[in-house]
Amino acid sequence: MSARRQFSLAARSLLAASLVLAAFIGLTGYALERAFENWAFSVLRERMQSVLYSFLARTDISVRGEILVPEVLPEPRLERPGSGLYASIYSQDLRWESPSAMERELPFVDGLKPGEISFRGPIRTNVGGVYMLSMGVLFEARAPSGKDVRVTVNVGENQASVRRQIKAFRETMWALLGGLGLLLLAFQALLLRWSLRPLRDVESDLGHVERGEAEQLSGNYPIELAALTTGLNDFIKGERENLRRYRHTLGDLAHSLKTPLAVMRGIFENEDDPKRVRQSGLEQVVRMDEIVAYQLARAAKSGHQTYAAPLPVLVHAEEIALTLEKVYARKGALAEFDVDPKSCYHGEKGDLLELLGNLMDNAFKWCRSRVLLTARPIVHHRSRRPGLLLRVEDDGPGIPDEQITQVLKRGVRGDERVQGHGIGLSIVGELVASYGGELKVTRSEQLGGAQFEVILPPLGG
Amino acid sequence: MRVLLVEDEAPLRETLAARLQREGFAVDTAADGDEGVYMGLEVPFDVAIVDLGLPKLPGLEVVKRLREGGRRYPILILTARGSWEDKVEGLKHGADDYLVKPFHIEELLARMNALVRRSAGWSKPLLECGPVKLDTTAQSVTVGDTSVDLTSYEYKVLEYLILHAGELVSKSDLTEHIYEQDFDRDSNVIEVFIGRLRKKLDPDGSLKPIETVRGRGYRFSIPRTA
Repeated sequence: MSARRQFSLAARSLLAASLVLAAFIGLTGYALERAFENWAFSVLRERMQSVLYSFLARTDISVRGEILVPEVLPEPRLERPGSGLYASIYSQDLRWESPSAMERELPFVDGLKPGEISFRGPIRTNVGGVYMLSMGVLFEARAPSGKDVRVTVNVGENQASVRRQIKAFRETMWALLGGLGLLLLAFQALLLRWSLRPLRDVESDLGHVERGEAEQLSGNYPIELAALTTGLNDFIKGERENLRRYRHTLGDLAHSLKTPLAVMRGIFENEDDPKRVRQSGLEQVVRMDEIVAYQLARAAKSGHQTYAAPLPVLVHAEEIALTLEKVYARKGALAEFDVDPKSCYHGEKGDLLELLGNLMDNAFKWCRSRVLLTARPIVHHRSRRPGLLLRVEDDGPGIPDEQITQVLKRGVRGDERVQGHGIGLSIVGELVASYGGELKVTRSEQLGGAQFEVILPPLGG
Repeated sequence: MRVLLVEDEAPLRETLAARLQREGFAVDTAADGDEGVYMGLEVPFDVAIVDLGLPKLPGLEVVKRLREGGRRYPILILTARGSWEDKVEGLKHGADDYLVKPFHIEELLARMNALVRRSAGWSKPLLECGPVKLDTTAQSVTVGDTSVDLTSYEYKVLEYLILHAGELVSKSDLTEHIYEQDFDRDSNVIEVFIGRLRKKLDPDGSLKPIETVRGRGYRFSIPRTA
């Protein structure tokens, strides 16, 4: 358990969505802005170019070789000082600048070769950044005696107008994108509420079960939750079953002790012969001992576990075999294993030890020298977890057919002489039954003695 | 045979101790785990009986500490729960056998005898050295076909010697394994027992079953038959 509570599912989802959305909107905005800037600059350049060409179209050369600047300028802004659009025309004899450029120091260029074009900008000037388109032009002489005149035409435009455009675009764009982002987040939050609702339903249903208002989780849950809710239901059922079994065992114990107690009371109150008192008292003590041992064993086994880690049979079987080989050392008996390493027991460790311990103890008790333990997983396709086959054989005398039912009968001792005998096998019977399994007693084909076979079926599927 | 009995429930401890003494054991008792470990490490016992549910120190821990302390004598554990988990744990920690409460004392005696025999290397309850046969279950001794009548102390001395047949057994070994802790020991008594045993087992002096190793002790010199 971590000390700090984990983020809620909704918070995780919203956080992730916001991050992705922020990155997405940021990148989109940046790309759009760049595209718009490029577009705005190409528009600017085209406009300057058309101003330049229409200016050139109106410019002429006189017969005497003088450059004639147009009287009406192609763009009214060129007339207005400080308009932001400037033009100039320079030749060897002429230095004309548009009225708009008056008293402004602008980076007009001179001396470009005919046909040479340059576009620069933004260039820092005392009126802010300026873009400058310059072109060299050759005016051919009108008279055969005249000479050609080289001129350089400049058109400049202040960047402020482009900046304004870009700024306006940016503001609109970010407002739109931001609004869209918020909308998406709000939608995401609604979606989350909707898709997490089944979880809240489970929570409230569980509350009903806890308060005893309902037996089970009864809602109709979506498929992703079905495994969870089915599991929870199994768990609840298992717990109820356990509780019922404990009450039952306790009740059984108390009731079954009442009879010998009543008998003893009768003896103590009515019997005068001390020998008979002792004799009958001892009989009842033996009876009570048997009852307690049997009921204790029944209570100790925990029964069917819905959720239990798989226990490897091999490890625990080895522990039991080592124990028994030590206890039966005088007999020199040995346990042989034919255990598939994948054999696992799904339940309490104590239960597995009881199963193996009682079966193998019984085999050691009756064998001459050999005990064979076989274990295999029982795999069915589609089952949630595999079952288990356990087989314990010995080379002893075996059990006569007519006694087999007697041996398996609950709490009946097959043999009074050997301590604990009978109780052990009846525990095995109880355990197997609580797992919905099967216990078969036959004659061992391999060793010739008794063979006990436990089959615990696979679960689910 | 000297036995350590660690059991916290006084009535059971006392009846068991009394019965074991009647059966010829020298019994030392401890009522809790700490005392059990202390005595178990101090005294060279032949066998120990340890209850699993003990105050101060659980029985499993007692067994573990005795084994860690290098004590090799057999240990039998008593468990009230009788679950296989307890049994497996107990034997894993070094116990040699278990018994589930409540039990018949005869069962306990049989198991103890078997453990002691096994730890001395005997596999059957009948100890045989040539013509001398000692039946540990009936506690009877025969030489050839004649049965020998022994007092309980004579029997204890002979049983210890035969269990360790071929080994050197000192006088102090014998006193330690035959008497309980509070007993007033007099090693001269051992010499008296040995003398009487020689007479009873070997009246005509032909067998010479018990050899005296001067200044060191005794040895049962007839080799083991089975």
